[in-house]
Amino acid sequence: MPERRVSPVAVSQTSTLVTKTGSWKYIRPLYQDRVAPCNAGCPVGIDIEGYMSLLREGRWDEARDLLLLENPLPATTGRVCHHPCETSCNRRQFDEPVSIHAVERMLGDYALEHPPSLTRAAERSEEVGIVGSGPAGLACAYHLARLGYGVTVFDAAPEPGGMLRLGIPEYRLPRRLLDGEIERIRALGVSFQCGVRIGQDVPWRSFLGLFDAVFVSTGAHLGKDLGLQKENVAGVRAGLAFLKAVNRGERPELGRRVVVVGGGNTAIDCARTAMRLGAETVVLYRRTSAEMPAIPDEIEEAEREGVQLVFLAAPVAFHAEDGRLRAVECVRMRLGDADASGRRRPIPVPDDRFTIEVDTVLSAIGENADLAGLPPELAVQESGVAADALGTTSRAGVFAGGDVTNAARTVADALGAGKRAAVGIDRYLRRLSDDGPNGTGLPALRFGNGNISMARWRDADPVHRINALNELVEFDDLNTSHFRRVRRRRDDRLSLAESRGGFAEVNLGLDHEDAVSEALRCFNCGVCNHCDLCLIFCPDVAISRRANGGGYDIALEYCKGCGVCAEECPRGALTLTREGL
Amino acid sequence: MKKVIIGNHAVSWGARLARAEVISAYPITPQTQVVEELSEMCADGRLDARFLKVESEHSAMAACIGASATGARAFTATSSHGLALMHEMLHWAAGGRHPIVMANINRALGPGWNIWTDQTDSLSQRDTGWVQLYCETNQEVLDTTIMAFRLAETVDLPVMIVLDAFYLSHTAEPVDIPDQDAVDAFLPRRQARFKLDVSDPHAFGALVRPDSYMEMRLQLQEAMERTRDVFDRVEVEWQQRFGRRYGAVEAYRADDAELLLVTSGTITSTARFVVDRRRERNEAVGLVKVKMFRPFPVERLRALLGGARQVAVLDRNLSPGRGGIFSEETRAALYDLPEETRPAIHGYVVGLGGRDVTPTVLDEIIDRTRASAVPEREDVWVGVNP
Repeated sequence: MPERRVSPVAVSQTSTLVTKTGSWKYIRPLYQDRVAPCNAGCPVGIDIEGYMSLLREGRWDEARDLLLLENPLPATTGRVCHHPCETSCNRRQFDEPVSIHAVERMLGDYALEHPPSLTRAAERSEEVGIVGSGPAGLACAYHLARLGYGVTVFDAAPEPGGMLRLGIPEYRLPRRLLDGEIERIRALGVSFQCGVRIGQDVPWRSFLGLFDAVFVSTGAHLGKDLGLQKENVAGVRAGLAFLKAVNRGERPELGRRVVVVGGGNTAIDCARTAMRLGAETVVLYRRTSAEMPAIPDEIEEAEREGVQLVFLAAPVAFHAEDGRLRAVECVRMRLGDADASGRRRPIPVPDDRFTIEVDTVLSAIGENADLAGLPPELAVQESGVAADALGTTSRAGVFAGGDVTNAARTVADALGAGKRAAVGIDRYLRRLSDDGPNGTGLPALRFGNGNISMARWRDADPVHRINALNELVEFDDLNTSHFRRVRRRRDDRLSLAESRGGFAEVNLGLDHEDAVSEALRCFNCGVCNHCDLCLIFCPDVAISRRANGGGYDIALEYCKGCGVCAEECPRGALTLTREGL
Repeated sequence: MKKVIIGNHAVSWGARLARAEVISAYPITPQTQVVEELSEMCADGRLDARFLKVESEHSAMAACIGASATGARAFTATSSHGLALMHEMLHWAAGGRHPIVMANINRALGPGWNIWTDQTDSLSQRDTGWVQLYCETNQEVLDTTIMAFRLAETVDLPVMIVLDAFYLSHTAEPVDIPDQDAVDAFLPRRQARFKLDVSDPHAFGALVRPDSYMEMRLQLQEAMERTRDVFDRVEVEWQQRFGRRYGAVEAYRADDAELLLVTSGTITSTARFVVDRRRERNEAVGLVKVKMFRPFPVERLRALLGGARQVAVLDRNLSPGRGGIFSEETRAALYDLPEETRPAIHGYVVGLGGRDVTPTVLDEIIDRTRASAVPEREDVWVGVNP
């Protein structure tokens, strides 16, 4: 047979590299990290996705350091935070949200067992005074110390911690952990002066003169009155005062039956504490369980421990005998239209009344800030100090945050306010314009529309982010076909008998292995974690790994703009844009 | 080892013993059990192959082509509408000379929607450049699947093995399953003649201008022509090792027959029974089974059918506007015979959409054929309700 000139199959003379198919495209992929909804949903402003990603790679110390960059009290918040991050977790729409609080708790405990050597920025000469050592004050002190400032924290109580120590029961937050986390702040160089009430022991005028800036975070400690007659009869007590007494080690006499009035965390804390002191306990709430502001897990625990919840009822009169409370008369409520808070307004049903025999009533319907004890000439708005996002008040050099302002009254919100105020004070003392040190405005410092990132403020994000775009990744942006359904791990709990018998911690969190499993459930929304799917699916082999694990390069001269990479990216780190835009 | 297995699992066993390396498939009734079994074989490690679930038959064949281009042994299976959806890729496989093996379970095309057997799906793909081998029994299915790889990789052409829906696909028969070692000796690892090589990068499937296209097509045609002889050699070796062969065309009691039935697929088994009965009555009736449809065994058919007085071709298929496809092909193949040896070709369309072709139907065909020296018409439809 003569030698054939033509190959039996169509084979190119050279490789396809000569064919620059990129000129065909009219859309192009954008390889840009975006913002996970947990980060945006965290009032503290923690890079949750970031530490989940580091844990996925087993980089424990870096995960711990990233967490501590934004949150000074992770072992605390891992236990007591209402974790709105889990509400915003995209995984909620797939199976169940990642148990973020349990992972944070594990990492917070890890940080106490394996203390990092926390760094301070270049030392600054300015001194900042902080009044109030609750979560807002502690956060502000911590971040300012890390920014290089001299910081002194003052508190009227004998020990620092504010509401964390005074209000939250030991069974939710063991004090050795709080002590450990405060010790870490002290080790950064922060001084604590406890047992000093500024404005009383030291006049505000002279106090303000001692510091270059002051942060007021005195909290809200004045229990609201129920507004009923005989409220001062023996047996009617303020719930918060009761909690403080127990937290000091006292064991107040409550009698056999206790009624707690209210639906917030203070009410649930009072009920569970009273139950531990041997009382039969009823919580009276004027709305339904759906409107109850307390953390759902806490409500569930209270019921498990035997606390009785009575909804749609409010006290209208106390009946006393011999100067001692005997019964509380209640009226049934019904829900009307939504009020300003968005919740349906409770309306009394006039003739529907009932009476509960009771020895002690604990009122826990909220607390007010003590505005009388504030620095003079400080503008007040509604029931708190007027302060902007960075804590700036009407007085130059005086900043405020936490419960003393009109912010949401949670530990997380207080920690977030303390952080923002630290940025505000840093900006004030360095006389920076609104644009900040890295040329970005306040919105650019935020995780999406959430709290600000200290990493961004310091322009020192330890997590590699690719062309980060400050845009939230929603569930519909994910390709969940690449994920498996995996059950969320439930926190371990103390047995009922042990729970009710004392003040030992009830929620035991997750064991190490389960907590890591939870971290692995994280979708890493919006952030490339080098899963290689784009590279595998690209029909033009136009995607290649960068050296040193720094993500991918897209050879745009070959990318035809088919969009498959963006379609396949499980986490929305690849999006498409029209060519030329 | 003998096992009682359905035809679909005979295909799976064949692909497993052939050590297919990439299996890419999309399920369709009545093919599903083929890939279901293979996926389990892959999952539990009995077969070391990459199993690709894809979103369509078009993609299934595209993935096989990609795998084959890297030198891997690729396999898939489909049926009816799935095969129709593959059509473009079937041309790619053949034109790219990819020795892919595919099982097609013959099923009618809709509408009317019908899952039962009918050869029109595979015969519609006759011009794509695929070798087509039709099977009569589950043993033949298994043997042909393994032989198909050897054949495909020898001539660099894709091979389609074809079996009837339900009559084979879902019917269990005893099947002798060869030892893996023996199959390995018969079918060594693929040595690809053309494959992608990252150390010498080239692309397949680029533009071919009019100055080269015909030469490439000619080579495809020559490969098809070579396939007839290569298949015989493959079968001879199979017989030496395993004791069975089928033939591209098989003559059954055809000697000195005046009337020869031409069949394919499972109708052949029924026809054997009817022929036996007629021979008991000393009627000169015989049978020719066509296993290989592409390349069409022209010379073999001329030799076997030439000299008979009458030939009745049974078609469980239809080319609308023309008629039964086997009869059309047979007529064309025999046209060049001298007039004195050229038999009259009677075409019968039967059993479309899975209708039973019973001994009664075959008896009617034999009787009607013998009753008319010249065909009543080109295609007579038998077993059609008024």
